[in-house]
Amino acid sequence: MSTLIDFPVKPETRPYLDAFRGIAGEPDWLERFRRRSLDRFAELGFPGRRSENWRYLDLQPLAKNPLLPAARGHETVVPAELLIEGRGVRLVLVDGRFAPKLSRLDLPEGVWLGSMQRAIAELPELVRAALEDIAQPFAALNAAFFADGFVLDVAPGVVIDQPIEIVHLASAAGSLHTRSLINLGAGSRMTVLETYIGPSENNARYWRNDVAAWQLGEGASLTRVALVEEGADAVHLGEVAATIGAGATLDGFVLLLGGDTVRHEASVTMTGDHAHCRLDGAFIVAGREEANIVTTIDHTAIGGTTSELIKGVAAGRAHGAFQGKIIVREGAQQTDARQTSRNLILGRRAVIDTKPELEILADDIKCAHGASVGELDEAALFYLRARGIPTEEARRLLVEGFLREAVDGIAHPAIREHLLGRLGARLARLESE
Amino acid sequence: MAGLDPAIHAFFSDVGGASVDARNKSGHDEIGLFMLEIRNLHAQLKDGREILKGIDLTVAAGEVHAIMGPNGSGKSTLAAVLVGRDGYEITEGSVTYLGHDLLAMPADERARQGVFLAFQYPVEIPGVNNMYFLRAALNAGRRHRGEPELDAGQFLRGVRAKLKLLEISEDLMQRAVNVGFSGGEKKRNEIFQMAMLEPKLAILDETDSGLDIDALRLVARGVNGLRAPDRAIVMITHYQRLLDYVEPGRVHVLQDGRIVESGDKSLAAELERRGYGAVGDAA
Repeated sequence: MSTLIDFPVKPETRPYLDAFRGIAGEPDWLERFRRRSLDRFAELGFPGRRSENWRYLDLQPLAKNPLLPAARGHETVVPAELLIEGRGVRLVLVDGRFAPKLSRLDLPEGVWLGSMQRAIAELPELVRAALEDIAQPFAALNAAFFADGFVLDVAPGVVIDQPIEIVHLASAAGSLHTRSLINLGAGSRMTVLETYIGPSENNARYWRNDVAAWQLGEGASLTRVALVEEGADAVHLGEVAATIGAGATLDGFVLLLGGDTVRHEASVTMTGDHAHCRLDGAFIVAGREEANIVTTIDHTAIGGTTSELIKGVAAGRAHGAFQGKIIVREGAQQTDARQTSRNLILGRRAVIDTKPELEILADDIKCAHGASVGELDEAALFYLRARGIPTEEARRLLVEGFLREAVDGIAHPAIREHLLGRLGARLARLESE
Repeated sequence: MAGLDPAIHAFFSDVGGASVDARNKSGHDEIGLFMLEIRNLHAQLKDGREILKGIDLTVAAGEVHAIMGPNGSGKSTLAAVLVGRDGYEITEGSVTYLGHDLLAMPADERARQGVFLAFQYPVEIPGVNNMYFLRAALNAGRRHRGEPELDAGQFLRGVRAKLKLLEISEDLMQRAVNVGFSGGEKKRNEIFQMAMLEPKLAILDETDSGLDIDALRLVARGVNGLRAPDRAIVMITHYQRLLDYVEPGRVHVLQDGRIVESGDKSLAAELERRGYGAVGDAA
């Protein structure tokens, strides 16, 4: 590699630096961006536990065992139970690359949806403007290596109720770096379901490093639901940076059901007045799994609202964590923010951390947060058993009931039912773990 | 079968008729057995405090018994021990249910074998839908008996008919178990569950407490509708009120962990007159 690096390189980044080849035939600006990002990654290294946003995740195993960018995998089939029913628009990425044969892109007017590679050629201005975040180490690594991803660009005023389905399928070992962009024009409305799936059988250890930017124009509305069911040995690190304009609404939901180490981070900045943000989520961890949900919501304008409900369940020796930061800037008056984190521990060796954080610099605002970590309600368990329901089934009913509150907030009925079904299937497996 | 409205009984037998037949068949072998035999039962709390100090009671199929007594006499503990609630230690005695050692069974198995408790304080279970819960309970029992699980249609027909009888709104069934129910609705929901599960031995723990007169009548109608030759009902109550509507064959007075007096239904009226204070003197 010819890059001249004149600052100390963090040792854990070395294998990635050595593996960097760039992608032939890309525009100059992108090539420069990739090299700049790689340098940044080399300088930053892996985030340590002293880094506040990473304090609950142990990255040592990943740092010690490099997972170099994976080659293009072969197209395979997407398990039907992981798809929502219907003949809607679907874009499938296999090992981080667009898989045209598995996709169904009958797009309504005013909607551009395609691979990141195609967007670089067809929508270079849009993509270039969105590719600027190299502040976070793994976003920088992603910038250097991303092979593909998707871009959804919606014209102003276009309202689509039928959800768009994005399926991220992993089949190979190594690391998969995907970079995606959602851009909603003023007054447009979209629903996106993103599903992250990996092989559950062959235990291929892979690392998905998924980075996305969302831009919501004035009065736009995005509902984005993420379902994460990665392979048993997988590392999934997802990072979303969103900006939401005046009067726009972002409605996000994440359901983390599988993967050895799963982290989903969303950073939302309200750039206009009276913007609304809801970030709900739930996770289940068992065995020795780890899951983190990390959110930062930055109120910079007047009259914004935030609502967060995160529910976590940990069994076995698993570890879950939620970190939620809400910033209310000076002048962001009439902000109304609520954050709730409720957690359930099954068994004596599971651990859940929850850390709400409010940083408030305005005086005329409402902010409320609550957090709890508890065990299954023994009285409720007995009540179910006293009606003949076997203990294991009764426990499952209670855990499902506990998590359901978060899933019930999903407005789209087909997506809600789909997620409840996946949740039920995950809980049925929990008993044998 | 005193006090039983024949129309109601016919109605209850109608719904889920298949399982009633099946039970009658198996009940045949049990003729001559007491349904419930409690012998010298002693139970204490985890802290060692003895609550039941030698209970003897036999209940036969088709009978309705009332257990009365002052607060703290052990009535609710007796119910809890019979259904297998944690937190009690049996130090002496035995409980035989249809020839089986009841105390050896886990709580959920007791329920599948036909033992039902109408809770004094029904538990609220957020997130668990009433219908879903009830169907899970019904199907657990059916699997246990080797019967096919109910499909949604069969289940719904049974639910609707029995809801109507107890004047419970169908909307309530779409909510989480007991969440947002009034006190009376919770108690009616208990009797509704009992009607759906068709137990062999039903224990009603202070089902009348906190009910206004209209709710009490509804609950009583539900209970009377469940009186059957192959079913025994044990009502635990502080007051005679419920017994005006659901007439027991036998009345027992529990005091300080023992049954100190037993008699026919006139005993309940007598207790109402003279109070529990005099029972010990009479005994």
